[in-house]
This record gives sequence, C-alpha cells and structure tokens, in this order.
Amino acid sequence: MRSVADLEATYADFAAAHGLESLPSYPAGPLTPLLVESGDGGIAPAARGRLGGEVDGVVGQLAYTRNKTFRFSVALADVPASTAFVPRLFCIRRGRHTRDDEFYGFEARESKLWTESIALNERYTVSTSPYQDPNWLRQLFSPAFVDWLASKAPASFSFELAYGALLGSVEDGDPDAAALAALCEATARVAERIAAESGE
Amino acid sequence: MQINRVGYGLIAFFGVAGLLLATVPLFVSIPIEGAATLVLLGGIWFLVALGLLLYARHQKRKAAHQDWIFRNGLKGRATIVKASSNATVNEMPVMKMVLDLDLPGLERRQVTRREVMSVFAARRLEPGLVLPVHVNPEDPSDFVLVW
Repeated sequence: MRSVADLEATYADFAAAHGLESLPSYPAGPLTPLLVESGDGGIAPAARGRLGGEVDGVVGQLAYTRNKTFRFSVALADVPASTAFVPRLFCIRRGRHTRDDEFYGFEARESKLWTESIALNERYTVSTSPYQDPNWLRQLFSPAFVDWLASKAPASFSFELAYGALLGSVEDGDPDAAALAALCEATARVAERIAAESGE
Repeated sequence: MQINRVGYGLIAFFGVAGLLLATVPLFVSIPIEGAATLVLLGGIWFLVALGLLLYARHQKRKAAHQDWIFRNGLKGRATIVKASSNATVNEMPVMKMVLDLDLPGLERRQVTRREVMSVFAARRLEPGLVLPVHVNPEDPSDFVLVW
C-alpha cells in the first residue's frame, strides 16, 4: 500500500494527463449506498472533468471502516433523466460486502433482484425498486450491454444508480493510471447507456 | 413494510415462549405469586407475537394489492412537491409527501402519500424529483409509488 502522498501524486498525474482538475477532496455527499457508507460521502483525493465519451464527473478514492477499512476507487457522474424511469438500480459484483439493510423484524419493501440475465447474474447482483418497470430494464440491459458488463468491464467493477447519481466503483485502494482510466471509461459507458435509454 | 427473517424469529420466540410461560405454571406446583407473574408475562409475550403476526398479515395483503396494481395499473409519473418526516418506524423515516400526479389522458392532480422508506432513499426526496407510478385503473387515488 502506497502512502497518501503517493496516491495524491497518482491522481495529480492522472488529472494532468487526461485534462482533469485535480482536487484534494470532493464532497459528493450521501448520494448512493456506497457513499453513505463513508458517512459524509467524501472522496479524496479526486479529479474532476471528462470521464469518457460525453460524460463529465469526478473520479477519486473512497474509504470507510466497518470492522475493517474498505477502500474503493470511484467515479461519479450525473444521469438526471434516469430518475423518472429507474429511481434506483444497483449492479454490484457478487461477493462484495455491502450494507446490511435489515432493521429489526420489519423492513421497508424496497428492493427486488433482477435475475433475467444469467450472464449478468453470474458476475453481479442486480437490484431495483420492487415496482421497477421490467420492460424498461430489459431495454437497458441489451445483449451488447450485458456482454460488456459480464466480460469486458474492469475486474471488481460495480455501479450504483440512485436518483440520478451514478457511482461506478472498483475495489482498489491503490490504483494506477490505467486502472483509473478503465474505471472512468466504464462509468462513462454505463452513464451513456442509461442516459440513452432515458431519452436524454 | 414486510416481515423479514428476524421478524419471523421474533414472532416464533414470543409466541412459543409466551405460550409456555402462560400455560406451564398452571400444571406445575410453584407458589401462586410466581405462577401469576409467569402467566401474566407469558400472556403479554403471546399477545405481542399475535400483534406482530396480524401486522405481518396486513402488510402481506397490502403488498399483494400493490403487486396487482403494478401488474395491471396505468403507468404515470409523480413529481415531488413537498417531502417531510416527523416519525420513524424501526429507524426508517415515515415520509409524508405531496405529489403532482401525471397520468396519460388525465389532468394533473395533487395527492398526498405516506411511505416508510430507508434513510438513504428518504434523504434524496427533494421537490422536483420525478418518480414513476403505477395507478389502479379502477381508482386513480390508489397508486404505487416507485421510489
């Protein structure tokens, strides 16, 4: 594990090489479940600008402690028009430790697994609102998009879409420039796919 | 709301333990004061389990009705006009919302809705947010909000 200064240098170099604005930190706020885990949703270090394609956003490091410290590289982008079609969509790598949402004996009926794609479900756990329009999801998860997610997305890649905020993430506390570029491109690709299906 | 494994465990525990506490002292020889306390405690536990069971059954019926609206309802959109909460259930906020409901072929109308939500989702409900809805074709006031 490199030092914080080394990580900051990696981000500064990455920002310079890709025309991004280097930031010591970025206060994303609790926009998605993973950002909620970190408490205030702070990303540090960070870089802001074009992630890929036509998608702007912020890339950075996120860390939180739940018995042990979890570290992620994350990329955040906006897809505001998605909320009217898919308020929440979580596509999480199978086996990733996420928040335990069980509260006492009763809980809000808030999520349903999407299991129609075998290829997708071999690698990810996909969940949505229980009343999410399944036809819209079928259109979103086109064969080409599923194939890319299942076989070409970066290792440990996951994404969370919540009320227009898209957070792509990989379980990497010590990324190099290539890993950051791959994360940015993957998140931008997901953002463009969702935006296209939302009619943006 | 829906019951989860913890809930089923609580119902089973309070139901069985309550029944035992309420009935066993009647068949064994223990001082009357002790027996009365155990019977009273067992009765309370059993009533708690019964209450949870009735609540779970009510929520299950409600969920089945919402599932029916989801399958057979009209698709529309709801724009949040106002959202606030001053109560919680099991640490989940009970959100009170004022919504502008838009359905194809019908005039926009304003409705209110109370919904128990996760803290994360509740934080994101801001005026102007547009969410999908499924509306009962036989009763436009009966709808499922997709949040």
